[in-house]
Amino acid sequence: MMDDIDAMFSNLLGEMDLLTQSLGVETLPPESSSSTSKEVNFTMGFADMNVESLNELEENDFDALMADLMADLSATENKLVAELEEQKDAKVANPDLPAPPRELSSYVVPSLSTTTSPDTGLNTTYTPLADSHIPSFSPPQPPQHEKPSMEDVEAQIKSDKIKLALEKLKEAKVKKLVVKVVMNDGSSKTLMVDERQTVRDVLDNLFEKTHCDCNVDWSLSETNPELQLERGFEDHENLVDPLSAWTRDSENKVLFQERTEKYEVFKNPQNFYLWKKDKKTLKDMKDRDKELLVEENFCGPSIIVPDLEGVLYLREDNKKSWKPRLFLLRASGIYYVPKGKSKTRDLVCFVQFDNVNVYYGKEYKNKYKAPTDFCFVLKHPQIQKESQYIKYLCCDDSWMMTLWVTGIRIAKYGKSLYENYKTSMAKAQLTSAWNNRSTTTTSTPSTSSTITNAKASGKANGYAPQPPEEPVANIGIEPPPPPPLPPAQILPPHPTVKRSPSPNATTKKLPSLPTKYPPSQATIFNLPAPPLSQDDISFLPPPPDSDFPLPPPPPDPAFCPVTNRVPKPAPPPRQLYMGADVPAPPPPPPPSFTPTSSVIKTAPLPPKRTTPMQAAPPGGGDFMSELARAMAKKRANQ
Amino acid sequence: MAVWDLSVTLEDLGAEAPPITVSVTSDLHIGGVILKLVEKSQVRRDWSDHALWWEQKQQWLLRPSWTLEKCGIHADARLIFMPQHKALKLGLPNGLTIRVRACFSGSVFRTVLGICKMLSESRPQTELSLLRPVEEKKKKKDKDLSEEVYDLTDVPLTSVSRPCLYNGMPAHFADSPKTEKVYKMLSVPQPAPAPEAIAKLYRPASIVDKAHIHSRWLDSSRSLMQQGVQENDRLWLRFKYYCFHDMEPKYDAVRLTQLYEQARWAILLEDIDCTEEEMMLFGGLQYHINKLSLSEPQAMTSTPAMDDLDSALQCLEVKLDVGGSSPQDLLDNLTAPELNDYLKIFRPKRLTLKGYKQYWFKFKDDSISYYKSKEESLGEPIQQINLKGCEVAPDVNVAGQKFCIRLLIPAPEGMNEVYLRCENEEQYSRWMAACRLASKGKSLADTSFQSEIQSIRSFLAMQQTNPSTNSSQTDDNINTHSLVSPRYSKKYKTKQLAPKILDAYQNVAQLSLTDALLRFLQIWQALPDFGLSFVVVRFKGSRKDEVLGIAPNRLIRIDLGVGDVVKTWRYNNMRQWNVNWDIRQVAIEFDGNVNIAFCCVTADCKIVHEFIGGYIFMSTRSREQSDTLNEELFHKLTGGHEAL
Repeated sequence: MMDDIDAMFSNLLGEMDLLTQSLGVETLPPESSSSTSKEVNFTMGFADMNVESLNELEENDFDALMADLMADLSATENKLVAELEEQKDAKVANPDLPAPPRELSSYVVPSLSTTTSPDTGLNTTYTPLADSHIPSFSPPQPPQHEKPSMEDVEAQIKSDKIKLALEKLKEAKVKKLVVKVVMNDGSSKTLMVDERQTVRDVLDNLFEKTHCDCNVDWSLSETNPELQLERGFEDHENLVDPLSAWTRDSENKVLFQERTEKYEVFKNPQNFYLWKKDKKTLKDMKDRDKELLVEENFCGPSIIVPDLEGVLYLREDNKKSWKPRLFLLRASGIYYVPKGKSKTRDLVCFVQFDNVNVYYGKEYKNKYKAPTDFCFVLKHPQIQKESQYIKYLCCDDSWMMTLWVTGIRIAKYGKSLYENYKTSMAKAQLTSAWNNRSTTTTSTPSTSSTITNAKASGKANGYAPQPPEEPVANIGIEPPPPPPLPPAQILPPHPTVKRSPSPNATTKKLPSLPTKYPPSQATIFNLPAPPLSQDDISFLPPPPDSDFPLPPPPPDPAFCPVTNRVPKPAPPPRQLYMGADVPAPPPPPPPSFTPTSSVIKTAPLPPKRTTPMQAAPPGGGDFMSELARAMAKKRANQ
Repeated sequence: MAVWDLSVTLEDLGAEAPPITVSVTSDLHIGGVILKLVEKSQVRRDWSDHALWWEQKQQWLLRPSWTLEKCGIHADARLIFMPQHKALKLGLPNGLTIRVRACFSGSVFRTVLGICKMLSESRPQTELSLLRPVEEKKKKKDKDLSEEVYDLTDVPLTSVSRPCLYNGMPAHFADSPKTEKVYKMLSVPQPAPAPEAIAKLYRPASIVDKAHIHSRWLDSSRSLMQQGVQENDRLWLRFKYYCFHDMEPKYDAVRLTQLYEQARWAILLEDIDCTEEEMMLFGGLQYHINKLSLSEPQAMTSTPAMDDLDSALQCLEVKLDVGGSSPQDLLDNLTAPELNDYLKIFRPKRLTLKGYKQYWFKFKDDSISYYKSKEESLGEPIQQINLKGCEVAPDVNVAGQKFCIRLLIPAPEGMNEVYLRCENEEQYSRWMAACRLASKGKSLADTSFQSEIQSIRSFLAMQQTNPSTNSSQTDDNINTHSLVSPRYSKKYKTKQLAPKILDAYQNVAQLSLTDALLRFLQIWQALPDFGLSFVVVRFKGSRKDEVLGIAPNRLIRIDLGVGDVVKTWRYNNMRQWNVNWDIRQVAIEFDGNVNIAFCCVTADCKIVHEFIGGYIFMSTRSREQSDTLNEELFHKLTGGHEAL
């Protein structure tokens, strides 16, 4: 039975890898080093995805991106390993466990001899999935089989494996996008966003990168030039979702800017909830009364939507005219009163908010002959072009427009809006407190480490930006990288000692690491991995440093495997768990770039990646390979 | 001191029994009178709950140390010696009647606290009160059936002390099967009423009608006896103030259920206006709640829906434990299941009248692909349609055997309309369920798939049955007309109503009973008119009647003619309010020298005064000290001149 399962997993993983392999082959032509711009322009895998063409990116964008990518991947890997580790703790201590590891180590040793010493795989960790998976070495009968007394343990191992496999499958589906964000000074920054990240996470990320004041008004918004629309994303939204709706040729942009109307309703609730009162009363509102209003409308068992009603102009379908109608806002949608009917009983539903977003329309007087320029639009996020399914409304003045748009947001997002605000406030306060205390320490944080944080925490809400401390804290949280399974015992020389000090030292001494360096490390990890899985290597005792055969020993031995393993015949590729230390801040700058670039140039790109994105939709592969090629190109130019 | 005779009627001896005469002096205190009376009656029993009631003055003589002189009692006084606690029939928010022993001598405020303490397990509740029922003038014959009365009079009031749970209910309910049944009635939502029953009940037709109901509230500062309530009279127990402090669904099952019932009836009887969309959502929720409360009577615990990963994992583990299963099976578990069928598709386009064309359809993950034939299904599909974020609507005519699914699929250029035609109900239920899940981004592997199919089937069944033949309902078949107010019952036929309610139901079908109840209340509380109690008033200086709406946080002035809100005043701008009891006028001063004054037309000004004072009292009840209740403050705020 055991081998059934093992075989099953091999099948499964093999299949996944075959998939990626095929992708790799078709998207990674060997002449990548001399790739032309045309090749770089190779279509993104994600259909309809607005991924910035890589050749549009500025040089240093690559560095940031690669760092992003790197940190991102390893963070997830770490998390998984760490989780697994926790579950395993009890069992690792169990002395009855040696059987499987012994078996493993015995077949791992030969691989050492063939792959030569340097590839100690410092940054790789044993993945429990590996044991069944190396056809050349793996004995067909896992030792567990002969030990019925171990059933419980086996069962546990089994279920862990399953979990891991499922986690990986899940991980494999994670969609990632490269997003170019236009800053308010017109410049742009490029970042990597995965589908689990909320707008809040991305904002935090941008705060780290821009050193702005982090006030609550900062927001990400999207523009649609074709429809002349603009919408501020809500902090709890996943950024990838709305961006996925963009068409490939879209001119849409993501902006990073301050939008005062974003949380105005919490700063001056009276203007929304008591909008009928005279201006002076509203202006003289006491702070306490404002708080009360927020409390009343947002802290009760249900969110109260501002009581809005008024005449708005509705753009008639396919006509150029705008007809006035009496509209009402309710929690369940926008309604209008048919002519001659009563306001209480005969409301007709105009739109409900489940499937639409609200956008500001820009300069519609000109574009659609609207009565005023204060228009808003309701449409399904997927709709990107002129359509009868878009609802256009026009208000008398800008204030009414803000009222309606905010009211609709409250009705649509409810409590999340207030939660977002509280998170933003906490963030802003912490930042300002931090800035006041020590302005010097907020110098450039190392890019990759900060990103790691935003991502590793998953919900970086309210995360205080404390650049110098962060990486250290992070390491503390991440469990050390020993393999989750018994092999750890058998392989005492696991290079923990060597590894841990280096990131620590790095962070402390180099709080402002030049962004140029991280990629060199990142590159290696993102490069399609050699045909031989690094899993094996992780079992190897790390050779003493003096054994390094390569003349310029890079600080991180993980460099070497790439070159050395290339000639090996490719066994079925598989997934790989990277060491828990990967998300740590980048190591000190490698002595030179040469080894890296030579690796790229000489080694035909192997048809496999080590990232967990293997089973990702074809796009994942395309994107990765494109990045790789772009990097290569960049190096070639150097 | 002169000795004189005082005659006292002993209620326990019966109405015909002659009064007992005791010889007293004016300096004898009340306790002494009672002692003499008990001795003379020669009845041996526990008299501790008894007290003297002075009939002419309509007041209790509750201070044993006060002398007769101090009380102002002379020989002509007609006194009745009677128990302070008597049976009272209470109409609950769920429409059922319960018989309890209630205190007739304390203030109604206290009496209600006592009743709530007995019925519900939660901390002191002040948002409920008693009111006189609306007389049912309709055919008295119906009354012969004599509604079931749940009797709780045996529960000794003294035993109701601290909330301690036994068998998941307050200990005093766990005594006997009879009381357990009462607890179940209190804590589980009642099944949907027959549409005819709803239609028969009184419905306020206008805002003035709605105002009249509020003239019926009892005065909280006086006792039941003082307000002419007799033993075994019927009163309604209702939530009066729309501030629901510290709702703890875990511990407040009775309170939550009764609040739901009150909200449901407010909606069914059109006491609060809602739109058609809202009504359908309420209908969907009621359907769901009915189903759940029939199937899981006590399981109030929410079962978080497993995500598909978890379920897949479980599947895997089960398979592994069974052993011997082929790896292929296991792989199948990791890949989402599919639907495969021949269906007909139709894309309405302008100026074309192409009919339905048959293709081989495959439903996988959240997409539909179709092929020329089954044989070609291994190749490239003719088209693949991703359903995420699309709108799904039924287009069904059971009688005409038409089972179509209308899909509105978003695309950059707009929405694409596609119709899928299924052969039969069975096929339709599966594909419809799949489409609905996919539109929400869930796959067929989702745990809700089967239940989704089930509910679609039962709604289809509903459209087949004739509504008039079965107004009562069985487990699975609920008459949709009993889920909406008569207005919408009249507007739509069953086959029109069912899909609308089903549509709303799909969005809530995954909720647990408690969550569904809470959702219902949330939507109710989000209605614009929620929490408004109306009173017809005449503003000072105005010549016409207007309506004053009293809400938890504000007062509104409504023009009777148009129905528009003319003005809003918020309590937190309120400086003070006064009641002139002689001319029965309420005067309120707000910040910024805003003064209003009005006389109440439909209700006593005490009721208005109590509403305002009550809401202000509620706002002072902060979360931290919810266990203690400042009764004195309540009476100060609501009491009026008698209390001072």
